[in-house]
Amino acid sequence: MKARAELIAGIVVVAILAAGPYLSPLIHVDLSIVSEVLVTALAVMSVNLLLGYTGLPAFGNAAYFGLGAYGAALSAKYLHVDFIGAVIIGTASALLGGLILAPFLLRRRGIYFGLLSIAFGQVFYFVAYRFTDVTGGEDGMNFPRPLVLGHYAINETTFFYVALAAFVGCLIAFRTVVRSPFGRTLVAIRQNEARVRYLGLNTDRFIFVALLISATLAGLGGALFGLLINFAYPLELDWHQSGFFVLMMILGGAGTVWGSLVGSFIYVIGKDIISTQTSYWQLYLGGLFVACVLAFPRGILGTLLARLNARPAAADSEPHG
Amino acid sequence: MDSAMMLEARGVSKFFGGVKAVDEVSIGVREGSIHAVIGPNGAGKTTFFNTLSGFYFPDSGRVTYRGSEITRLANWKRIVLGMGRTFQTPSVFAELTVRENVMLGVRARAGVAFRLRPPAGEERETLEHRVDELLGFVNLGRSKERLVAELSHGGQRLCEIAMSLSTEPSLVLLDEPMAGLAETETDRIITVIRDLRQRLGLTVLFVEHNMRVVLSLAERITVLDRGKVLAEGTPSEIAANEIVRDAYLGKEALDHV
Repeated sequence: MKARAELIAGIVVVAILAAGPYLSPLIHVDLSIVSEVLVTALAVMSVNLLLGYTGLPAFGNAAYFGLGAYGAALSAKYLHVDFIGAVIIGTASALLGGLILAPFLLRRRGIYFGLLSIAFGQVFYFVAYRFTDVTGGEDGMNFPRPLVLGHYAINETTFFYVALAAFVGCLIAFRTVVRSPFGRTLVAIRQNEARVRYLGLNTDRFIFVALLISATLAGLGGALFGLLINFAYPLELDWHQSGFFVLMMILGGAGTVWGSLVGSFIYVIGKDIISTQTSYWQLYLGGLFVACVLAFPRGILGTLLARLNARPAAADSEPHG
Repeated sequence: MDSAMMLEARGVSKFFGGVKAVDEVSIGVREGSIHAVIGPNGAGKTTFFNTLSGFYFPDSGRVTYRGSEITRLANWKRIVLGMGRTFQTPSVFAELTVRENVMLGVRARAGVAFRLRPPAGEERETLEHRVDELLGFVNLGRSKERLVAELSHGGQRLCEIAMSLSTEPSLVLLDEPMAGLAETETDRIITVIRDLRQRLGLTVLFVEHNMRVVLSLAERITVLDRGKVLAEGTPSEIAANEIVRDAYLGKEALDHV
């Protein structure tokens, strides 16, 4: 019953999103902004897997996001790969970054994991910032959006559907992962890692795989983001960017499958709408955040779901006494 | 080393800064026995226990399990070898139901925990059946679908014991299983610990404060004081031991036995 309700809600949301090219003009939002919501949601999901589900402070996921963007940009500009190739190379760059960092992050917990994540992210930031000849340094790098298979151009509408397909695919994969025995074990690690180890499970192995999944998700989001704006710049790798992903996750609901979309929707659309009205948009966006966190302590979706679940559960516990 | 010994520690020491919390402690836990470690507060019981279960490693000394050295073996590997443990404060997943708690261990044991596909069909039934069996053993079947956080302290302890059993250990280490329990709950746990040996054939090593529990359960007792072994023997030997009486027990505690 619950699964069916979720399926119906999911189909409705995806249907509304699919009508994006017709709906976005109604709220005076460019379609590319809705595409940005979708690709950003992938990066938020990557943070959610580590922080929301596993309890690891993923404060450096912009590193993978930026690696994805630069991987796509550099391969498009210098290797002249096509659109699909750029997406694959961007995502693979992030996965490679994850493979390099994971052994160092693996045994850290709590604040040490967070600080080390930030530090590694900044290393990538400075590399992009300093290698001006290759990356364009502080100014970033422009590149034309590559064609698919060298023939078919991708316009904004097509790109939107590519982003939507990627989002839906990743959401289904994400849901499968967090609902699986593997995902339940990640949640158990968040709650009580010592106990998980005393059930005979090597928690480091679980965290290693979670890190790689997270890096890949963020990398795909970053690669698509780079291809969306045809631009890669160092701030994509910066810890501020990581912070925004964390904020969006908290806003949407840590440890919820759809929370990443809710968080990135409010942040990206909110930023777009408010920043066209006033140059003090950060102030208003900050106010919106504070209001949301006060009204929805477990994130918007997290709080709503908890309220929905509270009623049947309370009725249920009666007969057990 | 004696082959009948399931768990053996030789000259185990553990320092914290300049403090020698455990000082050259040796112990042998015979297969199939119920063995207790007692001692006043700060005697190093839990620290010693943690070196045995690999919560941390000793600074010197050796620990062997069934004859093979495990002194610096990762804690999760000890579970795979056949050890299980509980903690002084019940270590459970409070936000999950009783069934889900035990299922985590059952899945871990069955090698399912790492999979992406939830078990289905016959496999799922086998796992569910095992959970029921374990909950039946600790008499928590009725609370199966309740959140662990809603259970009493004693209920949480029973859930933790069921979880420790889910990995099918041969030796269970119980760290103060009666800590913070009401008298009636204590009796429930005593029955369960007795059943661990009688019905499941397990070896039990436990740390305990409550002398009534220790003397009614243990066949062998090791007394720790200030990090060192003060005495070791059967309950009657320990009860008669003058040094132990002076150091720890006090006359009244034993006169009732």
